[in-house]
Amino acid sequence: MSRFFRAGESDSDETDSDFSDELTHSESEGHSDSDSDDSSSDDNDATKKTGGRSRRIFEGSDSDSEDDTVRVVRSAKDKRFEEIEQAVTSMINGQKINDWVSAQNEFDRANKGLQKAAGIISQTGVPKFYIRAVADLEKTIQAALEKEKSSSKKMNASNAKALNSMKQKVKKNNRLYEKEIQEYEKDPESYVDEEVVEEKPKVKKPKKVVVSDSEDDSDAEAADDGFTPVGAGGKSVEFNQENIYKKLKEVADARGKKNTNREDQARILERLLAVANSPYQKIRVLLALISAQFDFPIGASGYMTISLWKHADKYLNLLLTILEASPEYIVKENVPEEEETDKDRVPQNGEPVYIQGSLVAFIDRLDDEFTKSLQNIDPHTTDYVDRLKDEVGLYSVIVRSQAYFTRLHLTDSISRTTMRRLEHLYFKPDVVIVAVENATAALLPASIAKPNQDSSALIHELCVFLYKNATSLLRTRAMLCHIYHHALHNRFFVARDMLLMSHLQETIHQADVTTQILHNRAMVQLGLCAFREGMIKEAQSCLQDISGTGRVKELLAQGLSLQRYGAATPEQEKLERQRQLPFHMHINLELLECVYLTCSMLLEIPNMAQAGSNPDGRKKVISKPFRRMLDYNSRQVFSGPPENTRDHIMGAAKALSNGEWQKSVELVNAIKIWELMPEALKIKEMLGRKIQEEALRTYLFANASHYSSVGLDQLAKMFDLSLASVISIVSKMVWNEELSASIDQVSNVVVLHHVEPSKVQSLALAFAEKAAGFVEGNEKLLELKTPQQAERPKKGPNANKEQATGKQQQQRTMGPRGGRGGRNQFNNGLGNSVRGGRK
Amino acid sequence: MPSNKELSAALDIEGTVPIHSVQLDAMVVLKIVKHCRESIPATVTGQLMGLDVNGVLEVTHSFPMPKNNQDSEDDASNYQVQMMRCLREVNVDDNSVGWYQSTNMGNFMNQSLIEHQFEFQQALSKSVLIIHDVARSSMGNINLRALRLTPAFMKLYKEKKFTTEALTKAKLTFSNIFEELPITIRNTALLTALLYELETADESVEVSTSHLTTYKSTASAPASKSVLAPSFDVLDLSLDPYVAKNLENLMDTIDDHHQEQGNYAYWQRSVERENKKKAAYLLNRKTENARRAQSGQAPLANEDVDAMFKTPAEPSRLDHLLISGQIDNYCKQINEFAGPTLGKLFAVGELQK
Repeated sequence: MSRFFRAGESDSDETDSDFSDELTHSESEGHSDSDSDDSSSDDNDATKKTGGRSRRIFEGSDSDSEDDTVRVVRSAKDKRFEEIEQAVTSMINGQKINDWVSAQNEFDRANKGLQKAAGIISQTGVPKFYIRAVADLEKTIQAALEKEKSSSKKMNASNAKALNSMKQKVKKNNRLYEKEIQEYEKDPESYVDEEVVEEKPKVKKPKKVVVSDSEDDSDAEAADDGFTPVGAGGKSVEFNQENIYKKLKEVADARGKKNTNREDQARILERLLAVANSPYQKIRVLLALISAQFDFPIGASGYMTISLWKHADKYLNLLLTILEASPEYIVKENVPEEEETDKDRVPQNGEPVYIQGSLVAFIDRLDDEFTKSLQNIDPHTTDYVDRLKDEVGLYSVIVRSQAYFTRLHLTDSISRTTMRRLEHLYFKPDVVIVAVENATAALLPASIAKPNQDSSALIHELCVFLYKNATSLLRTRAMLCHIYHHALHNRFFVARDMLLMSHLQETIHQADVTTQILHNRAMVQLGLCAFREGMIKEAQSCLQDISGTGRVKELLAQGLSLQRYGAATPEQEKLERQRQLPFHMHINLELLECVYLTCSMLLEIPNMAQAGSNPDGRKKVISKPFRRMLDYNSRQVFSGPPENTRDHIMGAAKALSNGEWQKSVELVNAIKIWELMPEALKIKEMLGRKIQEEALRTYLFANASHYSSVGLDQLAKMFDLSLASVISIVSKMVWNEELSASIDQVSNVVVLHHVEPSKVQSLALAFAEKAAGFVEGNEKLLELKTPQQAERPKKGPNANKEQATGKQQQQRTMGPRGGRGGRNQFNNGLGNSVRGGRK
Repeated sequence: MPSNKELSAALDIEGTVPIHSVQLDAMVVLKIVKHCRESIPATVTGQLMGLDVNGVLEVTHSFPMPKNNQDSEDDASNYQVQMMRCLREVNVDDNSVGWYQSTNMGNFMNQSLIEHQFEFQQALSKSVLIIHDVARSSMGNINLRALRLTPAFMKLYKEKKFTTEALTKAKLTFSNIFEELPITIRNTALLTALLYELETADESVEVSTSHLTTYKSTASAPASKSVLAPSFDVLDLSLDPYVAKNLENLMDTIDDHHQEQGNYAYWQRSVERENKKKAAYLLNRKTENARRAQSGQAPLANEDVDAMFKTPAEPSRLDHLLISGQIDNYCKQINEFAGPTLGKLFAVGELQK
């Protein structure tokens, strides 16, 4: 504090600063660090340090008089600084007239400008005019506050508020520049003078610096490459063939240290790359450079910035090109460290040169970052599409590295890249896969990738490779991808067989979450496939586990579940967020629900009709969510015309249960989302037919008790089915013992038998249940057995009962399964003897 | 000269020979049957008179007790005393040897019956309980059972101690609450003579004996010429009601049993809980003592741990025993019924060919 008071006398300098503004406008020296957030304090440290260093360099470079090529770059930097300067000037003006609101605004603007110019500033240091302004500002504020306190006339509220907040801000801000401010305060006059002196060389300087700004595009960089060798300035002297390894080592040593400026590092490496000319050098530099790209801190967006990613991608490609061009250099993991790394190594007598590095890690990282960016970009913007376009590039890198690893026979790496490749492909339709493949083939040398027309063959090839070579986790994942792919191509039986033969379902609950998600996806896709193929029952059972739970989003990682019982901890939520699939991989949930509900309807409605009023039958529920919805729907007093998919299906279900199949078909066909299915027309047709059949079944179940016989012709007419199909449906029902009837083929009628279980029979059934409960209760007691051997006296009746119930149960379980043998159990029980007698 | 056996019987004044069978006079049987049938479906009881001779309980007379309309006990016993006095006056056996009770489908296993019989057996060690099952008798064969409580059960009942431990020790299960004694029916010589007479007699004697065919008194008269014409009840083919009734009862009993199971499980759980608490306490105490021993202090005095942690009393297993016995009864009945029924069905099947 005292420091500032001491410097308070120099308030008068303010006026000077106005003049000196003119002078300082081109000043590039000074300080970047505009970021007022203190969280990145280490960054600040870093910049300060480099700021200091670059100043030293500038001083050193005074002697250099390269006046050429200067103008080219100057404007870019000047524009930035001009902005800041302007802001600073108006800020000072605001101060003078005691208008703190505007002063605050300008101060913010200046800071913002600094932030923008961060790239430049990190090289040149914070502009001195800024330092001076902020130093003075603090004093002025101090003075103003004091005055405010003493004077009776108060400022207006907003002004006072602005002043106060300014005080806070400036204090915080100035802490960042303590050193500079001190320097300035020591000798305000000379500080500015120094600037004036320094001005000239500084103006020349920037050329070198600016071009390597990380925000520049690649063409700027290309220009830079063109420049460097020419302008062998003070700095570029440092980058040459001789010291390339030294520099590289420096960078490598600095890496990961707390106050390393990563941008600087990257820039140095880029320059080194330009200098490097032997493949060995290039490879070394590139390896470091790619890691450097990945080292950049990830901001609030949660993913690597796209430009950085593109750089990494580019360098990786470059690296692979070099490696392909000079096969005698091999990048491998676990290479013994060379003691002398400062020499250019060349392959001698055919011995390949091994270089430490992990390409596969780069690939993994690159792919992960890509996914992360997709997770974070709003999928409904063009950004997402633009980003998605990069996938081809990424894919080609993967393919390329796969080829590279194949050449080196690195099985583990091959599996990993193959898996990555597979994961980019498996969910895509044929056309897209072929397109991607062709685009990749166009990007890559012909030796590596050739256009592929047969997506299935490709997937098959990739999967088979993984089955043979990979670890069990990758094998599992490959299997699931393969299943998904088959299902996507309507090969239900192939996919199902794969799923069953691999016994994946038994172990999947032990797998990690992402694999489980993949499994869920495969199951869902399988269900959709079955649906497309018209196998309603299979489809329903495939989808039941996922769609029946009401946690579809969570299970498919396509969105966070909204409400959880008990809020999830932030860590859990974060993990879940990381698992989310990018939007383009999503399975349409609405379509999924629609398919699931439709399947449930087709199965549940006849099932409900069959159960009728029988309480036992009522318990047999195929799809709980469907029942719930139907109940809810039927409870409604007024039901308006259907609006969404659900309403349509509920309406259709009701119509179906009433036997109005035309209405049901109409409602189902009115659902819009079918259009998302390939061959929607065919599917609608299939659904129409299914509805007719199920309507017939429902009708028979519901009304059989009212008929003694029904004409088959009549049924065929009612449900617009062919006589043959009516016969087949009815026969099936009879065979499955769903309907106690027989078909009289002479008169073409179904003769319905009405069998009601007699009192004894129903009692026997009830008894069987009771007895089972009885045994269960006893067993439970036995389990709880106290040390006193309590169960002795009970054993007697148990033994008896157990046998009896055992028999009963056996009979019961045999019933449904035993097909023909199990029919009319009761007749069997009593009637065997009678039948025996009749013989 | 009297045989050894008779001699010993004559000497058995103390009645030390336990009874091993029951001998009912035909008239007693008829009286019981008549009484029971008349008051269906209410449960009725009556007294048995007779004498135990040499291990055989001879029942020669019986009389019904008045309807059990919640009168005071005194009324019933008064009636009994008066009745017996009257009987003595007409010189009939007036030695009470037990009682009989009607039942329906064998559901006689209940607390009050046990209690009643217990009192009887306490007072007259040689008394017996005759159970007449009306419903089962109507299926064709008369159903009479002579039951006595087993000594083991008597002992336990006296102590009112039906814990699992006691049951195990006494080796008592539901199947040996009662011991069943064989019943023989005896006619007097006069009666036997009369029956022989009847077989060859003409219609004129019919009137006097018509009440003999007790089970089918009305039906037999017009249809058959002979009063001893066989009863065709046995061939009744309406089998379902019987089985159904049995099953229903069985289910009810199982429900009761279920409840008992619940009680018992509850008890087990609470015992376990208490035991755990106790163990924890003891362990605590042990470590405390070990610590004290280390620091040279005297160990804590042993308190009465059992007093501190009372294990809840075990629920009486009597109900459970009775229910089990009842279930067993029903099962046996169904089993017994199934055999003859099968025969009938075969026969019918043959006939229908």
